[in-house]
Amino acid sequence: MTTYRNSMRGRVGCVMTLAAVAAGSLIATPALATPHQGSLGNPSQGDITITASVQARARLSGLTDVTFSNQDPGTAASNAQNVCVWSNTSGKTYTVTATGDGASKAFTLSNGSGTVPYSVEWAGTTGQTSGSSLTTNTASASFTSGAVDQTCSSAPSTTASLVVKIGTTDLGTMTSGSNYSGVLTLSIAPL
Amino acid sequence: MVHGSLMTRALALALAILAGALPCPASAAPGDKADISRLSDLAFGQLNMTTDQTLSESVCAYSSSATSGYAVQATGDGAGTAFTLSNGSTTLPYEVRWSDSSGQTNGTALTAGATVSGFISSASQKTCNNGPASSATLLVTIRAAASGSAQVGDYSGVLTLTLVPQ
Repeated sequence: MTTYRNSMRGRVGCVMTLAAVAAGSLIATPALATPHQGSLGNPSQGDITITASVQARARLSGLTDVTFSNQDPGTAASNAQNVCVWSNTSGKTYTVTATGDGASKAFTLSNGSGTVPYSVEWAGTTGQTSGSSLTTNTASASFTSGAVDQTCSSAPSTTASLVVKIGTTDLGTMTSGSNYSGVLTLSIAPL
Repeated sequence: MVHGSLMTRALALALAILAGALPCPASAAPGDKADISRLSDLAFGQLNMTTDQTLSESVCAYSSSATSGYAVQATGDGAGTAFTLSNGSTTLPYEVRWSDSSGQTNGTALTAGATVSGFISSASQKTCNNGPASSATLLVTIRAAASGSAQVGDYSGVLTLTLVPQ
């Protein structure tokens, strides 16, 4: 008798399962309304929805100071460095804006009495000795980063190249034995 | 001889359980039931991408068993029931903890899909309408390591909590 009742339960359960599958194949499952409170049972099950928002962010790291020492005025000066740029946009894209600390944010070095201009170039890949020329305080065209974390702690260790140059004409205007310095500020905006 | 040996082993096992030498597995009586209620959705809003962020809520966890004991299983709606939120193209992991006291700031870490036993409910009524208004704490944490490298967007996910009386 016991065996018979169990068998009947099994058959009824099977029919109900098939019906549910058939209905599911024809009718889209509605979105789960949450919070869904449990009910008294064994087990009891409830659901909640968790939401969070991540803002667009970018980060520039791995910068080093640039030094031109005992530069021959007859040879153009150029310094390239590899840096890490991270962007969390879907395309990992960004723009770069550079500003100098000269008059009107000009790219200039100063020795206190005179100034000399320099140029700034940016490449969206590492190991480059030239790139797109940047205009002070003007956002560049779009670049794409290959960084997988904010500081390139995982490969790739760098994703872009910063190139600073002083042409021979400008070098020729500099006073020998005098130290020139300036601050270059780089801003990365996620795009 | 074989039959006698089995009898001896069974008797030794029973005596060991009675003496407390072996743990007696907790189990609910056939009619025991549990209830989880007073759940609320959790909204982190815009994440601070440099610090871990935790949201918690006090909920009602009830068990009608003689010990008021229960087990909890949590599952996310990520791949393989993972605790992940999704923005449609990428995922953001989160962590879940549970305490069988309300108003807590820490609890037992839950692994997606794994049942954790040993909780005791203080609820005297299935939806905490009488007695304590809540009897457990659910904590959800999003680590800075995850949010700090997450793609921009709005993320969401469903966390399912299952209580079994014990």
